[in-house]
Formats: sequence, structure tokens, C-alpha cells
Amino acid sequence: MYKAVIGLEVHCELDTKSKNFSSSPNKFTETPNIHVSTVDLGLPGILPYPNKEAVRKALKTAMALHCENPDEVIFDRKNYFYPDLPKGYQITQVTKPMGKNGYLDILVNGKKKRVLIHQLHLEEDTASLDHFSNYSLIDYNRSGIPLIEIVTEPCLESADEAVTFLEDLRDVFLFLGVSEARSNYGQMRCDVNISVMKDTDKEFGTKVEMKNINAFTNVRAAIEYEIKRQTELLEKGGQVVQETRRIAEDGKTYSMREKVDAIDYKYFVEPNIPPVKLTKEFYDELRKEIPELKLERYEKYIDKYHLSEYDAGVLSAKKDISDYFEEVLSYGSDIELTVNFVTSAILSTIKKLDIELKELFITPKMLSGIVDKVKNKEISLDHGKKILYQAIDKKIDPNEIIKKQNLHQINDKEELLKIIGEVMDENVSQVRQYIDEGNTYVYNFFIGKVMAKTNRQANPNMSLEIIKEELERRKQDEGK
Amino acid sequence: MIEKDKLKEYAKKLMFDMNEEEYETLQKEFDVILRQMDIIDKIPNLHEVEPMTFPFLLKDRSLRDDEVGDYLTVGEVLANTKHQVNDQVKVPKVVEE
Amino acid sequence: MITELRKELDEAKVSSEELFEEAVKKAKQEQDKYNSFVTIIDKYKIKRRADSILKGIPYALKDNISTSNILTTASSNILKDYVPVYDATVYRKLKNAGAVLVGKTTLDELAMGGTGTTAATGVVRNPWDSNRLIGGSSAGSAAAVALGIVPFAIGSDTGDSIRKPASFGGVVGFKPTYGRISRYGLFAFASSLDHVGVFTRSVEDAAIVTDVIKGPDGYDMTALKDDGKSYKNELNKPLTHKKLCYIKEICDVNEYKDSEVIKTLTEFHKLIDECKSKGFEVDGVSIDKKLLEAIYPTYMIISCAEATSNNANLTGIQFGPRGEGNSIDEIMFSARTKGFSELIKRRFVLGSYILQKENQEKLFLNACRVRRLIVDRVNEIFKDYDGIILPASGKGAPSFDKSSEQVSDQQVILENHMAIGNFGGFPSITIPFTFVNEMPVGVNITGRVMEDDIVLHIAKEIEDITGLKGMKAGDRHV
Repeated sequence: MYKAVIGLEVHCELDTKSKNFSSSPNKFTETPNIHVSTVDLGLPGILPYPNKEAVRKALKTAMALHCENPDEVIFDRKNYFYPDLPKGYQITQVTKPMGKNGYLDILVNGKKKRVLIHQLHLEEDTASLDHFSNYSLIDYNRSGIPLIEIVTEPCLESADEAVTFLEDLRDVFLFLGVSEARSNYGQMRCDVNISVMKDTDKEFGTKVEMKNINAFTNVRAAIEYEIKRQTELLEKGGQVVQETRRIAEDGKTYSMREKVDAIDYKYFVEPNIPPVKLTKEFYDELRKEIPELKLERYEKYIDKYHLSEYDAGVLSAKKDISDYFEEVLSYGSDIELTVNFVTSAILSTIKKLDIELKELFITPKMLSGIVDKVKNKEISLDHGKKILYQAIDKKIDPNEIIKKQNLHQINDKEELLKIIGEVMDENVSQVRQYIDEGNTYVYNFFIGKVMAKTNRQANPNMSLEIIKEELERRKQDEGK
Repeated sequence: MIEKDKLKEYAKKLMFDMNEEEYETLQKEFDVILRQMDIIDKIPNLHEVEPMTFPFLLKDRSLRDDEVGDYLTVGEVLANTKHQVNDQVKVPKVVEE
Repeated sequence: MITELRKELDEAKVSSEELFEEAVKKAKQEQDKYNSFVTIIDKYKIKRRADSILKGIPYALKDNISTSNILTTASSNILKDYVPVYDATVYRKLKNAGAVLVGKTTLDELAMGGTGTTAATGVVRNPWDSNRLIGGSSAGSAAAVALGIVPFAIGSDTGDSIRKPASFGGVVGFKPTYGRISRYGLFAFASSLDHVGVFTRSVEDAAIVTDVIKGPDGYDMTALKDDGKSYKNELNKPLTHKKLCYIKEICDVNEYKDSEVIKTLTEFHKLIDECKSKGFEVDGVSIDKKLLEAIYPTYMIISCAEATSNNANLTGIQFGPRGEGNSIDEIMFSARTKGFSELIKRRFVLGSYILQKENQEKLFLNACRVRRLIVDRVNEIFKDYDGIILPASGKGAPSFDKSSEQVSDQQVILENHMAIGNFGGFPSITIPFTFVNEMPVGVNITGRVMEDDIVLHIAKEIEDITGLKGMKAGDRHV
């Protein structure tokens, strides 16, 4: 039996306002060369000035991946000539990467697997090249965008594991808010190193490298194809060649070039970026900004809230949904009912309306109000959901709807007396009719006014009694 | 003495060439310079010393706040090359590696 | 001198236009003979709303400092048509101060040289004797000030590229603490050693110009915070830091055979005696000779290594002359093969060799270790002394035909010790102090990091002792 050994190198652009070493905008655009500074262009005389936010986001990601972090920020130069690299070197990290020796736990087909992270470092993206039939064009917009590279240990064994890791890693980026990680914009890209070996072998087989795969489906296809190709080759007594291959549209991989001597990048410490110390206080502050990640939430929902695996999965899948759910609970609302409302009504609505959760009119606080009324049996579950849909539809606070629908009476005598007093003060002639003429028809007049004033929330029977009493009291006061 | 072919290989990796005579000069120069560099090796216990990159260190260095500042117009980006198409720099077709 | 011109401008005895025209005229007159400039500016341009001590004062910039819309070549063919789209911080500050740019000065190609003989546009000659070199790499800036074309010029200093030509040119050359003046827009040679600095004809003028161009910069992370001082004003206060030392291993007359060197050192020791009589305390201190001998190779290793990388942007793709060829590699290869002179290529190959994986530990990192040993030793000396005083060169400027002459190991130390100032980023100034064989020779004072004002102040007091202030080439030494 043969088994695969897979290592991934994942690149992800960080979401910041400005670039990693200059203050030009870090913003995706189709218009070429409009977000370029002197620094991004590598003009003579430029100097890099590292972006604090990029450093924070890289460190946060490293911390979330349980990495060891450096005591100071230091960068290194990687020297090579390529037309997408205007300075002739890339500023990256070798000496003290943002993270070392971390891991990410993933669930593969229900089984927990610990993926070991060799290192995470912060660097800069290159310019982009567009190729035409007999020339190429350089667009420098991408040059200098902050990029993190995460290198796993060769510890993955299947396409399933690799793709699950990538998906979960993307969720880490999203949960941390460090990147939108859209692979269709090339914000998240992946290199795959893969070899196969016999179960009984001690040494890894010869590895093949596949670079810059954007879509996860292509990662899967490339790995599955390579495992099959390499295994068949070895079974036939052949040998795997160390080389770089690419995945084509037919789902097969093709050789690009055989591995020549490894390039010597002549790394050395970037002399223009003096070290910046990272204090314990800095790390403590940063740690506070790291939210619970997907798997932690999933396990919490099962262990602590006793949710089904299905519900726990749905509610932990996306950070906005999970945060929403947890906020409703934070108001003390019933867990079971909240799960019911969120997984059915809320999620189906955003799906139907094709909107983001943050665009939904119903806030967690509003939902909590409905959930509590259902829990207290003030309204039924069905009624609660109806009100919720109405509220979304009309963009009205559901608690207002409940009040309007007379589902919420004013039964407080003091409050009613106050309202009735006001109504009488506003309608002195009707009061006079009672005092002077003993006209009891004014009772209905006043009931009508009170109901109008309270949006029909006043308890009518109580109101009638109070109206009678109040009219009589006013009559007595006049001594008649 | 360092081989001339080695020096040619180094030059090629730096994306330039020299003529034979120049390589010979370089070869001789290398010899002299590498001998000078041996002076460094004579200094005792060097391996115990931390290599120095920066003239001095300061405690209050800070990183740049993440704000958009100055950047170039397309015209400025392309000001120093006449090889341009659709506001991009044109080069011979790059064979993707 | 700036102070004199300021007075004349303020008293309306001369206009800044007239000063500019005069400078341009002189620059053009002397150009054929001395070759100080790559570009001489034709049009008078001044920021009218400026209000500074430098307003209306003409000056020159080394041609490796970025000036938008003005050709900036670094005296290399690989940038022979390069017109920057941005201003270096030092240029922006001078522009805003109302100083008037007269020209861009010649340098050793890409600032990688110490002779002033390797510019793509030809050699720069010494104004005191045109058969001699002026030294480099800031050759044109030194010559322009020595010729009296401009009262000040901006240079850059990676090993001694301001302070050596200042010595050979009989002018003041000052490089402040690393980071005191922003490097943004200075074409990088060796980033960890590069400094921007000034040439003037008096110490006070050096303080005046530094006051204008120093300060923090959002484009240079290594730029220092504002020290809130006016170096010019500091010169008028009483000097309380008067403890100097020289390095015995460098200044021992008995170690040398060259008669000119012996003359220089004899004069140097006379100067020391005069300093002592003027209230300075001066001692001889020792530095291990092995360390002193290592200064030059250490400098070569670090500077060549950083330079190889710093100049990897020069490929002719996005700026500079485009190379020929059918593939991307061919056009880069052609641009760089044609664009760099042989000397530059040799340095790059050396730098690249030094950084190679198999050599990096033995060559590059060991040099970085020696750098620390040297800087640590000097900082130890600075615990007891406010400044180190040494001859800036062993003798006057060499003749062109003698520049490649073999020198003794001892002389190698004497001629290269000023790189210490770059290793540790120490403020360091050269001022003229004597004449040897009719040629000026400078004395160098190097002080503690951040104490630019003190170094200037010590230099000012020594200037008062030598009386060599405001010299132009041809002024006879009395």
C-alpha cells in the first residue's frame, strides 16, 4: 500500500488600508497602475516602512494557529530577478518569522486531525503579469500588498485533508477578520508539495511541487491526480522525478520543468527596517482581539449548550452567524428556542433575501425579545415567527408589532390613571357635560380617546372603571 | 585561485556579463580581497559575537500607522519607460515559471 | 560662506538671482577643467514664500539624490536618462527652505568608489591641483564647494565619501548621526552604512545646513526623532565636552616611512598640543590592531553585499535605458551589461559571492560580527571621551597616476579608519587643518551617537585653532 505525504504553502493577502511597506492603497482594482507608490515601483532611493496593522494581523493569525511568536519585528531580503519583482528582492521573513511551530485542528469526516504549521511569515506580494501572444504587461497595483505565507509540515495524507485544512484555514482568516481570502481574486493561493511512499517506508518519496493554485477544487483535483499518477508509476517500478507540475483544465497535471539546482536567494536582514520590540503588553492586547475559532465554538455548542452536531455545525460555520447566535444568548434567552429561531427563521431569511446577516433588520436584541415572549408563553412559537417575518418585511421592531397587535395591554392602574387624567384635561367640555348634566354617554367618548392614545393597549374594562371614578372625583371636588 | 568559469556563473546570475580581460582582472582582485578577508578570520572568538546589522538600536522605534498616503499617478508610474501598452509596462513575453 | 551671503542678501547688497547667475556662470566656467557637475541648472527657481536662513542661497546636490523633473544619474550609464518623479526628503526640505539648486554633482558611479574617477561622465579633478584627484564618492560636491561655486553642497557618505574628499578639497565635510537626515531619495549603496551629509566652508555653515535638513521622516523608518536643537545656536554656548582621544596605533609617526605621511602626523600632533593648550584634554587610546586592520575588509564585505542587492532594481525594465533582446532575461542582461562599468560589476560579483549560502557565515556574518566588535570598542572609548580625533587622510590628495599605487598595511588603516563612523552611525566631521606639499589635509572628529551638536562644537573650537575657515581652492596657506 502506498500513502501520500502532502505539505502546503498557503499565501493569503491581508486586508489593510495601505500596503505592507508603503502608504499606497491596498485595494483590489481592475484599472492598472493606479495604486502604486515610489516604494512599490522600486525606484532608486526608496525605503520600506512596515505597516503596523499588517504586522498585527500576521501576528494574530500566528497566535490563532498556536505558533510561537517573535520578540521583535525583523524582516529579511530574498534576492532574485523576475519582472514582477521591481526591487530585485522581496522583503520577507526568515530570521524571525511571525510564527513558528503551530498547529490547526481540523475535522475531517468527523475525525479530528492536528495539522502542524512549520511557520508563518509576513512578506509583500509581487506585481502582476498579464501574458499576451508575444509580449507581457506589468501592472504594479499588487506590488507590496501584505501577504502572509503559511507553511505546513508534510503531515497531510489525502486530498480531503488538504482541502479541509484550506477551508478551515480560510475560516480562521475570516473569523480573525484578517483577510477576505477570496481565491477568485487571488487573495488566497496555494502551493502543493506531494510525494507518495510505501506504508513501510521510513523515508519520504521524491516530491513534486505544484505552484499557485487558486481554487480549492483544483487543489483537490491536483492532489488526487498526483497520488494516482505517482502510485501507478511506482507500482510499475518507475521513479518519480523531482519537478514542478501544473494543473490543467482537464484536471490532469503536466510537467513544467525539472528541478534544477535550488536557487540561492542570498537572504540577509533588511537593513532599512530596524527591529521593533514586541512587548508582553502588546501581545496581551492582541490576544484579547482573537475570537474563539470555528472548532472551539463547535465543541462548545455541543459540550456546553448540548446542541446537535448538525446545529452546532450550522451555527459555528460562519463567524457572523455564530456571533449573532451568541449575542442573543448573552441577553439570557433560552438556548433551544434561540437555536430554533436562528437556524430556521434567520438563516432562511438571509438566504431568501440573498443578504449578509449584518444587513438584516432584526438585531440579536430584537430577536431576544421575541424569544423571551415565546418562552414566557406571552405569544406562541408560530406567532413569534410570524411577527419576526412581519418585522423583517416592514422593517419595524417586532416588539412594536406585538404592542400594536394589542398583545401587550396596559394593566397598570397608576399608568392608566395618568393617561385618563391627561385625556380629561384635554377634553374639558365632555367633563363638564358629566359634572353639569350627569351625561354618562361621555364614558364611551373617553374610552375611545384612551384607546387611541395608547394604541389600543389600555385594558378597556379597567379603563372604564377608572374613567367612572375619575369623573366622579372631579365632580366631588367641585362640591356639586 | 577562484575559477574564471565560476566568476562567469556568478555574473550571469546577477544578469550581466564581462569580457575575458575583465574576468581576469576580477579573478586577480578576488584573490587579493579574499586574502584581505582572511584578516577577519584571525580575530579570536568571533563566533561568540552576534552579527551587527544596524549601527545602533533604539527602544522607541515604531511601525507605520495603516493610513493611505501619497502615491503616484499612472503617468508618473510610466514616466520613465516608453514601452507601454494600456497603462502597463510592456516586456517580452514572460514564460511563467 | 552662508553666513556672509545671508548678510549680503538681507542688506540687499546682492539678490538671490544674482547669486544664482554667478554660481551657474562659475559652474560652467570650471566644468571643463574640474567636471564637478552632471547637470547644471539653467533656470532660477525659488520658493518665494520660504523664510529660512538658507533662502536665496545657491547650493548643489550629489547626483544620487532624487529630484523630480531633474535628471538624476548616479553617474552611471544605467540611469543616464532617468528623470525621477519624486523628491528626496533632503531636497524637499532645502526647496521649502528657499535654497536655490545650481546643479547635480558628479560622483563615483553609484557612489561605489573613493576616488572621484569612476563617473560615467569622466573624472573629477582637485581644485587645488588639477593633476590630482579630489576623492569620492561625493567628488563633485566637494569640488563645487572647494571651487567656491556654491557655499554648500549635499553629499552622501557610506565609508568616508564626504569626509575623505573634504580632506582632499580643504573644505568641511560633516555626516551626522545615522538617521539624523532622512535617506529617502538617496540612491542606496549600502543601506546600513549610508548617510546624507554636507560640505561647507565653515563648521558654522555645516550646522546651519544640518539644522534645515535634519528631522524625522514618514518615508524613512531609520530617521531619528527631532532632537529639538539648533546646532547653530549650540555653537554659541560654552563647550563643556572637551575630552578627546586619538588612536595610538594609527597616529604613531614611527610606524610610517612615507615623508608626507610623517609630515601630516607631525602636524597632527602639533594640533593636539595646541588643543591641549586651549583647554582640551587629549589622550592616546589603544585599539587592537587586528580590529583596525579588519576595518577595510569589513567595510568591503558589508558594503558590496548590500550594494549587490540594493542595485538589483536597475534592470532597465521600468526606468533607465531598456536593454535589447527577445526575452525578459535578455533585456535585463543587456541593460545591466551595458549600464554598469567594469568596476561596479566586480563589486557586485564580490557582494553576491559574499552573500552566497556557502560563504555567508564565513564572509558576510563574520564581517557583521567584526563590525560589532569595532563599534563596541569605540563605544567603550566614548564612555571616557567626547570625541575621537584623527587625521582624515595620511596626506594630501594623490595624483591620478599614483592612485593605484601599493600602500603599506599600516597606511591602509590610516586611510580607512573613518568607516568606523559608518559602522556605528557616529556623527563625524572633517575640517581642514594643515597643508602637506601644498595640498590641504583634514582632521576628523567623531563623537557619540546623537551628539551631533557636540561634534560640531568641538570642530568649531578646533577650527578656531587652525584658523582655516572659509577657504577656497587657491587660497594660500599662511
